[in-house]
Amino acid sequence: MYRARLERDFKLWMDKGLLREDAARAMLAEYDGRESTFRAGRVLLILAALLLSASILLLVAANWGALPRLARVAGIVALIWAFHFAAAWLQRAGRSALAAAALVLGVATFGASIALVGQMYHLSGDAADAALLWFAGACLSALTFRSAAMATVAGGLAWFYFISLLTEDGFGLSFDWRTWLVPVLCVVVVVQVRLADAGRARHLAYLLLVSWLAWRYVDHPSLAFAGGLAAAGLVAFLAATLPGSPLRQLAIEAGSAPAFYSFALALLGFTALQYQAVGVPTEVATGAGTLLVALLGIALAGAQNGAVRYLGYLAFAGELLYLAFETLGTMIGTSGFFLISGLVVAGIAWLVIRIEGHMAQTRRTEVSQ
Amino acid sequence: MTDAAPKRSWLNPIIAALLVAALQTAALGYMIEGRASILRNGREILLKTVPVDPRDLLRGDYVILSYDISRLEPELFKGDLPAQSEETTLYVRLNKQIDGFWQATEASFQPLPTLGDSVLLRSQPFSYYPTSPPSAVTVDYGIERFYVPEGEGRVLEEARNAEALSVSVRVDDKGQAQIREIAINGAPIYQEPLY
Repeated sequence: MYRARLERDFKLWMDKGLLREDAARAMLAEYDGRESTFRAGRVLLILAALLLSASILLLVAANWGALPRLARVAGIVALIWAFHFAAAWLQRAGRSALAAAALVLGVATFGASIALVGQMYHLSGDAADAALLWFAGACLSALTFRSAAMATVAGGLAWFYFISLLTEDGFGLSFDWRTWLVPVLCVVVVVQVRLADAGRARHLAYLLLVSWLAWRYVDHPSLAFAGGLAAAGLVAFLAATLPGSPLRQLAIEAGSAPAFYSFALALLGFTALQYQAVGVPTEVATGAGTLLVALLGIALAGAQNGAVRYLGYLAFAGELLYLAFETLGTMIGTSGFFLISGLVVAGIAWLVIRIEGHMAQTRRTEVSQ
Repeated sequence: MTDAAPKRSWLNPIIAALLVAALQTAALGYMIEGRASILRNGREILLKTVPVDPRDLLRGDYVILSYDISRLEPELFKGDLPAQSEETTLYVRLNKQIDGFWQATEASFQPLPTLGDSVLLRSQPFSYYPTSPPSAVTVDYGIERFYVPEGEGRVLEEARNAEALSVSVRVDDKGQAQIREIAINGAPIYQEPLY
């Protein structure tokens, strides 16, 4: 996707005489040579590893009586050792893609062996504990092998832990230490992503954190928690984007994620506040707060960060429509709603065009300076 | 993320493999031994199941077991009940009856002292919602599932529903329970080995 767009743009710039052909070719070659670049072979290899993992897990689930239990345990432990030593050998031989696939198989086998022990001793009601142990195994492998693939798997298993917690308790979380462990797991995953340079896997952790907070609110709605979410999100967003903030440089190095997720958190908080609001004056006050936050996000980070910009537009538009519906809509009925919606969307369009034009202008002046 | 230089690993991969495989094996060994030690050293009790076909995605087919002692009537409770809803565990005293089966004779939210020939079971954590007057509480002990080879669950389910199924359980001194044997009309059909 990005590769195709890059090639198209290069062609355009070459036609305009802005870029020399050898420079463009060198840039594309550099891009293709990157470790993180999408390669069909690599992706298929990991998919194959996942399919093989599924076969191991299902073989355990079948509780096959032909093999005695101890033989099953010995076999699965032997597989754990075999996959990890295969990974080590492949990594030493410089075949990092194959090594990653072997590690995926290794950690899947570890998961299968946990399930096997659970099956052997008829353990019930411990799905979250098992998920936690599995997560720990993946972390160990990610840290010792410094493997990006394992950091991603750990991110996925953190999600698995959260989901098993939810399903175990019938989607009503009781807030004991096991639930408080979820944000800890997020931090662990982010640290691993940084250590192993796993790039996009960090989104698994950030999304998990935001989902966990949202769930926490839905389960125990309270004004204090909603206000806390809004305040924390706002503070984090300002710390990540305000010029002069000591954390800004660190946040920019981590890509667009810190600004985007702190912004999303602030908006989540304001949405929760809106849900808490009773009566038209407080509705309007919280609504105005949401609008301000959306505008603030676009103004502070919108220029560099497309994700923040679009989330900002979305929140702004949604909030305006909601407010219009809540205050005026009740008085003038449904036809009026569509009239107001049309006018509001037209207003937003005008605003967006102005903002985008203004941003393009600043970028042009930056270039010409 | 933009850094395209190949990252250096900090451990020799062979040592990494050794470390990961050994620690993962140790974790499994610890799990297995924890359960086997209950089977080896725990006190044995015999429980009657009551009538109640799901499938566990990872662990395969299992039969749900529900026991007489899973439902605790309010008369059994000794000591203070929690005043508000909270996540808690119950301690349950079991005594052997004339028919050989063990029944709950006492339940408490505080640890119970050991007494004579009775066995103490500890429930799994559960959410308790106080009512007035106190109502019966249903708890799990971690022995509510019995995994069977694919397709063999039906016989056990029918026996369970005919109230012909009995379960021998070993309990350690921490109140953890572990299924040891399943019998239909007193004849054992599944005996659990230590390992």
